[in-house]
Amino acid sequence: MAQAFIADLHLTAERPEAIGLLQQFLEQAQGRIETLYILGDLFEYWVGDDGAEEPEFAPVISALRRATDAGLAIAVMHGNRDFLLGSDFAKRSGCRLLEDPTPLSLYGVPTILSHGDALCTDDHDYLALRTQMRDPLWQRRVLSRPLSERIAMAHALRHESGQATYAKDAAILDVNPGAVTALLDRHRALRLIHGHTHRPGIYPAASGSGQATRIVVGDWYEGSSILTVGPCGQKLTPVADFLGAVADVISGENE
Amino acid sequence: MVELETNRGVIVLELHAEKAPKTVANFLAYARDGFFADTIFHRIIDGFMIQGGGFETDLRQKPTRPPIDNEANNGLRNSRGTIAMARTSDPHSATSQFFINVADNDFLNFTAPTSTGWGYCVFGQVSEGMEVVDTIKGAPTTSRGGYQDVPASDVIITAVRVV
Repeated sequence: MAQAFIADLHLTAERPEAIGLLQQFLEQAQGRIETLYILGDLFEYWVGDDGAEEPEFAPVISALRRATDAGLAIAVMHGNRDFLLGSDFAKRSGCRLLEDPTPLSLYGVPTILSHGDALCTDDHDYLALRTQMRDPLWQRRVLSRPLSERIAMAHALRHESGQATYAKDAAILDVNPGAVTALLDRHRALRLIHGHTHRPGIYPAASGSGQATRIVVGDWYEGSSILTVGPCGQKLTPVADFLGAVADVISGENE
Repeated sequence: MVELETNRGVIVLELHAEKAPKTVANFLAYARDGFFADTIFHRIIDGFMIQGGGFETDLRQKPTRPPIDNEANNGLRNSRGTIAMARTSDPHSATSQFFINVADNDFLNFTAPTSTGWGYCVFGQVSEGMEVVDTIKGAPTTSRGGYQDVPASDVIITAVRVV
């Protein structure tokens, strides 16, 4: 079996096709993938685990539950949109929550998993916002508000965040190479897998231990993106090509 | 009693050693060491709380003693005018930072001994100088050094006296 990595699905009721694609993929993944890693922003927004039964989220939770019940391990990392995902979500969906960053040895290669937003260190305003959003005191205050109010807040934030992103220089919104090297070196890793930047690709990265690789999985807005890693290699493809990618990384026909 | 002297006035605190013995002992140890002198209230959210006790004026975090056990299950509530320990998402991670509630923040109270239910440990109460706290909570804030809600001009704790 192989391992798969996806990120930035940004699921909302506004894009039922992305939810459909995930449902379909989860069925295909069973028996082919050992662990599916979702590296942040599975949801476009998450207002607290008590919102899990909202029509917007319920179909996704049940699809995850069906997959985990069928034996697929799913690990979910917080993104900058769904940072309020909590233990009740994990219980309902059967997924486990992943720390950001998470080190793991992947077929012998020391690897780091991250959402990637903390690496965009040139965006000072965003980092300050991130610190606040991750603060447990702040989170607890937000979660004490009525669900309807939190949903309204999330919609307002999405609107603001969209405007801020358009106004910013593209270079600021990418990861900072120095931050990448520091993260790799801290964990003595040679591979970093992340999302967030919506710039899918396999890039070289500098590290103290030698030439490292930074793999960015893309979003599921217009297209879709998945990284499949097996004993014989890795492939970054659209989800439609997932079955071929699994065969390649397991049988060794990877280029 | 403890006097928190700030550049905005003096806040007098009455500490509840019988209800939160470890937390009070921890706070007094920092106070007696002079740790709090020239630290700032680095986070001010009107309608919520003012937080301080860990950063110097340049927003550099000071090295602390080891974290302490959370005593939030002591029945004390996060009401306006109480002082409680700040911490990370680990319930038992408080070191030197504290906050003064400027509103009744019931959602910060202990509900269960779980990661989300532990709440925030109240260990004292402002007995004099609440008007100073109210002045501080209204201070204009900005985004600085990677943090939001930082006062635009420093709110400094100049000295802490155990009396």
